[in-house]
Amino acid sequence: MAPNDNGTTLRVLDPTATQSIATDGMAMRPDSLAGKRIGLLTNDKLNAANLLDAIYDVLAERFDVSSAYRVNKGDASRPAKPEFLADFSEEVDVALLANGD
Amino acid sequence: MPRSATLAKSSTLPEFVALDMTNTRLTSNSIEVTDALEAIETYFENGWSDGLPVVPPTPEAVTAMLEAANLAPDDILGVEPVKGAVITAEKAAINAVMAGCKPEYMPVVVAAVEAMTQPEFNLHGITVSTMGAAILLIVNGPIVKELEINSGVSVFGPGHRANATIGRAIRLIVMNVLGTSSVDGLDKGTLGHPGKYSWCIAEREDRLPWEPLHVTRGLDESDSSVTVFSGLSGTPFGEHEANTPERILDAFAQRLYPLGPGFGEVIIVICPEHAAHFAREGWNKKQVQNYLFETARKTTSEWAAMGLPSSTRDEADNDSEKADEILNLLASPDSIIPIVAGGDGGAWSMVIPAWGAGKRSTAVTRKINTNG
Repeated sequence: MAPNDNGTTLRVLDPTATQSIATDGMAMRPDSLAGKRIGLLTNDKLNAANLLDAIYDVLAERFDVSSAYRVNKGDASRPAKPEFLADFSEEVDVALLANGD
Repeated sequence: MPRSATLAKSSTLPEFVALDMTNTRLTSNSIEVTDALEAIETYFENGWSDGLPVVPPTPEAVTAMLEAANLAPDDILGVEPVKGAVITAEKAAINAVMAGCKPEYMPVVVAAVEAMTQPEFNLHGITVSTMGAAILLIVNGPIVKELEINSGVSVFGPGHRANATIGRAIRLIVMNVLGTSSVDGLDKGTLGHPGKYSWCIAEREDRLPWEPLHVTRGLDESDSSVTVFSGLSGTPFGEHEANTPERILDAFAQRLYPLGPGFGEVIIVICPEHAAHFAREGWNKKQVQNYLFETARKTTSEWAAMGLPSSTRDEADNDSEKADEILNLLASPDSIIPIVAGGDGGAWSMVIPAWGAGKRSTAVTRKINTNG
């Protein structure tokens, strides 16, 4: 860095933070949807359930899925509680999520 | 990530590197620039500004900020609960310098960070939401005079360093430390909010008919405090004829009705001219809250005629018994948070609704540690 006319430079600091947020990544993709229980998790927004149902209809038409399991996390502005997700994961093999304003 | 993408585009910029400052405990990466103007442009290029020039955060300035609040660089001021994002004293101080804060403002910034990272404030929700709330800071107590935080003429307007820079520091922390920006980031406000540049006021304690906000919220009068509130844009209104508390509150109610029934939390900003009528009649805050809670109400069919909320229109159409059901505007008397602020002249007051119908974010008050 070339100094200015006074022969000095200025040292300044990075204002950002590298946040180390742990994520589990995506679930393993199943080989087939045949016989699978499809979880439909809405965020409580107006059209989220409609969007998920429309996707489920397409899946049910194309694949021999077992059933749909519909839940609503009940608050669009906060994450689902861990126990809610634990219960949900017990009931389904595949999960779809939707935000639908 | 948007920030690294922005950085990658700026191939002419020198890289930030690990800081070698043997006399400090700062750990942030640093960069050497020719002068302040180059620093300002560098921060613009990196996407680290709110769109206005920033004060270059030198290690010396950041250290002074930390010392004013008696903080170590690695002290943790708060953890945003949803992302688990940590706000250290060092990063808060860097952004406070950038915002233009004096070192003596730092304790207010610290208390505001502590308050806004409480789970009930729902910082992540209010920041990323399409609804576009900003963080309103209300400062109370002796520190208001010490720091010359404006509570009077044009209280929401420009021209006061403490108001402008403390509020700006909070937004820069949200953008830079939590990484929640509206530029290719998670802030998805449909319209945004001018208060997202800066929104910090003090209560006009010399014109209060009752105790100041921080005393209502459990602190001593000799304490200083900051209250954070997830505010949508305020609606001002003039009421120059009414000269009793009841009629003034009736005027408030007319501006509150558009919020719809069952609203959870709203600030009413009472201007000094209106406040004088409450003082003359000896009213307290509880009376204000109770009056609005008890009198501001409509039948479901009346709400439906206003289209509030959309679902009541159907209920009123299909159920005549339901149509006559009376619904209060407010969820409870405590849903009203009265504050006094503004200039002596003019009968202009304001309502500021909370984000999410006042049900998903709650105002939080924190004492300011003024002992350094």
